[in-house]
Amino acid sequence: MANAGRVSMRGIVKRHGSFTALHGIDLDIAPGEFFALLGPSGSGKTTTLRILAGLEPLDAGQVMLDGVDVTAREPGERDVAMVFQSYALYPHMTVYENIAFPLRMVGTAKGETDRAVKDAAAKVHIDHLLARRPGELSGGQQQRCALARAIVRKPRLFLLDEPLSNLDAKLRLETRVELRKLQRALGVTAVYVTHDQEEAMTIADRVAVFMDGRIVQVGRPQDIFARPATSVVAAFIGSPPMNLLPADLRDGELRVAGVPLPAPRMAGRDGPITLGVRPAALRIAERGLPARVYLVENLGDTTIVDLDVAGQVIKLRTEQAPNVREGDHVHVAFAPEAMHVFDPATGQRREG
Amino acid sequence: MTGKRLRTVVLVAIAAVLLAIWAFPVLWALLTSFKTERDVLAYPPTVIFTPTLRNYADVLFGSASLLPNLLSSVIVAGVSTFVTLLLAIPAAYALARLELPAKRASGFYVLATQMLPPVGLIIPYYLVLQKVGMLDTYTGLIVIYLTFSLPFAIWLLVSYFEDIPREMEEAALLDRAGRFRALWYVILPQVRGGIAVTTIFVFLNAWNEFLFAVVLGGNRVRPVTVAMFNYISVEQTLWAKLAAGAMLAMAPVILLGLIAQRHIVKGLTVGAVKGGGRRA
Amino acid sequence: MALFLPALVVLIVTTSAPLVYLAWTSLERIDLSMPWLSGFAGAGNYLQMGADPRFWHSLWLTLIYTVSTVVLQVLLGLGLALLVLRIPKGQGILRVAAILPIVLAPVVVGLFWRTLVLAPDVGLVDVVTRALGLPSYNWLGDPKLALLSVIAIHTWQWTPFAFLVMLASLSSLPPDVFEAARIDRASAWQRFRYITLPLIRPAIVIVVIMRTMIALSAFAAIFAATGGGPGTATEILNLYAYRTSFSELNLGYGAALAMVLLAITLAVSFVMFRARRAR
Repeated sequence: MANAGRVSMRGIVKRHGSFTALHGIDLDIAPGEFFALLGPSGSGKTTTLRILAGLEPLDAGQVMLDGVDVTAREPGERDVAMVFQSYALYPHMTVYENIAFPLRMVGTAKGETDRAVKDAAAKVHIDHLLARRPGELSGGQQQRCALARAIVRKPRLFLLDEPLSNLDAKLRLETRVELRKLQRALGVTAVYVTHDQEEAMTIADRVAVFMDGRIVQVGRPQDIFARPATSVVAAFIGSPPMNLLPADLRDGELRVAGVPLPAPRMAGRDGPITLGVRPAALRIAERGLPARVYLVENLGDTTIVDLDVAGQVIKLRTEQAPNVREGDHVHVAFAPEAMHVFDPATGQRREG
Repeated sequence: MTGKRLRTVVLVAIAAVLLAIWAFPVLWALLTSFKTERDVLAYPPTVIFTPTLRNYADVLFGSASLLPNLLSSVIVAGVSTFVTLLLAIPAAYALARLELPAKRASGFYVLATQMLPPVGLIIPYYLVLQKVGMLDTYTGLIVIYLTFSLPFAIWLLVSYFEDIPREMEEAALLDRAGRFRALWYVILPQVRGGIAVTTIFVFLNAWNEFLFAVVLGGNRVRPVTVAMFNYISVEQTLWAKLAAGAMLAMAPVILLGLIAQRHIVKGLTVGAVKGGGRRA
Repeated sequence: MALFLPALVVLIVTTSAPLVYLAWTSLERIDLSMPWLSGFAGAGNYLQMGADPRFWHSLWLTLIYTVSTVVLQVLLGLGLALLVLRIPKGQGILRVAAILPIVLAPVVVGLFWRTLVLAPDVGLVDVVTRALGLPSYNWLGDPKLALLSVIAIHTWQWTPFAFLVMLASLSSLPPDVFEAARIDRASAWQRFRYITLPLIRPAIVIVVIMRTMIALSAFAAIFAATGGGPGTATEILNLYAYRTSFSELNLGYGAALAMVLLAITLAVSFVMFRARRAR
């Protein structure tokens, strides 16, 4: 298979002076997979993508594409295409010339180039704009032009660096869906960098979560959502993200702010833990944690209630308009199976 | 209301005076160049007179024709501009982009060479060229012109190269262009404006240069600036002729200035921000 | 590296190597009018300078010339730019007029002024003064007026440069800052003093640095207008070095003078760039 697109990165280390941007990244991406690199800015996800593209030299480690070591290869020799955050369209060329450029550089015959350019342009619906220059296009059209330039050469690997971040919110949602469809239709492996957890969760087959130059969790979106590996991941994923509360485990009984919770008896060492609960798993009840309503944010179809629990603000999300007002004293409860328990020192998930 | 109008009138008046002060000597020279020598000396000066082309004919085809000097200037300014760009474009690209060892030091060195007083350079050049018998040659003059045009051109071009996002090149590299073709197909077309500005400035500076030309030139290589200077010592009182000669000598740069005025303003400001620009 | 190397080599060969040779020459006695006296002079040329009143005079003139032209250019350039910014129409034509002096060769500018502008009886200035009933001045022949004249010539030619840079800098200032200042009850003067001036400070500093360098090595316009004279009335260090080397053919001493100018130039630029970075 010419266009397999299996990626394997081993022990990637990248330093900028005394600062270590990547502390030994290991990553495996299967052919045809839509793989997202997710993390806050500065977490190393873009650097990882650029190393994969060959744009960034690395200090240690190995990059393999389809079982071949390409660590020392120039970007042009790796058969990968990239969509830049800024699109990096060549401003002095027309859309047609932009899309044709990667083919022209390897001396593709004119007729074949012409067919490929028109085909790629049609796939992203910009075939009527081929004579324009990038400066005459809207942001969305520029983004499509960059996409067309990437897909025209049928690369084995398709790299996208926050390709949607310069689009307005509505267009972003539409393009997200189209991008996914396009990748499916082409059957090409895609690596997608984003800091938007919702984007990563909706578009990707699998996600790698980056924190401070390390991959802290790799998995399917639903798995990461259901079982975040660390409290940091838990606090990063979901909107609003998971509530984290300091709690105490003693003799199998869990206490938050001194109030014992109706949880099943828990195994594990006695001592402090970090308790995580998703906002949607919380509900206002007769009994439970005492809380004071701090703010009610009505979003139309859902409502977010900010609650003060022993001096800490937690968020509750519900689809029914709750009958509470700011300043009210209420109780919140949740099902025991909605609990996530993390080690407060290491942040690691504890299986209970 | 009237106060505001008055203010505008005053402002426009000041602007008009300015315009006159800057443009008048040139316009006056232009006017003078069409006068007969007798009209020049008339008092009060005449504005209405019968224009004559005699002066231009004299200057171009008379005994002391300016034509060889114009040719000299074209050769010196043209060749030195060409050589400068040939060296400066890759150098500026390298300074702006590549990971060079001692990149900062190199940049500073280029800047420093631009500060050198020309009189400090002319003495060693004179001694060396005299020794090797290359006074009054195009090569000698062109080489010394590089001393001011090359640092200036590099400095100006660096700022244009730096304006181009790095991702342009990275995209080109991923598009399998390789470094050289990335420069040729993607980067250079985008700095065309900068190259044009640089060309104009380097050419202007070379055309207008006087000190190097008067010392290192001679009978064979005598640019128009030197010829103009000699004019006044030889034909002290023939002002109309002098004016005609000056208009001819300056015609290329005045035209260039008028045609490319937008570029020039941009070049001045870019150069100003980056610290470029020198003229002796 | 391969891209930068050719230019670097050319720069070293064409600028740095000659300077080394200049330094060496300054230690020698090379007098082409008396070639039999040539030889190594050690610090002789520099010692001679201390007792040379013409050198001290030229140094003093250099200081006056540089400071006055730079100050005039900056003040006039900034003032004019502030004025012109308020003119609703006609900025374009002013910009064109401003370019004229800049593109002219300084030597031609010197000639223009010497003949058409400042010459007795028929020069423009004399025509005006006579029309006003004032006496006729010998602008370039009188030692006191000559210095004033060459300063005026330089200022005339290069104020447009300062003007254009300041104008561009002023037009690029964000208008909302000034609107905010107005709302904060800043008067016109306060807006200028506390907002405009700090914002265009970098442009001013750069203009000062560049114009100082140019003024220090000014040559052609003075040379064409007065030749350094009458006597030595307009002989700034640059001209003195030139005249010593190429009129009196005393290249060794000329080289020493050039070394002094070089040292001054480098010192001034070093101090200025330090001052610029300090802010």
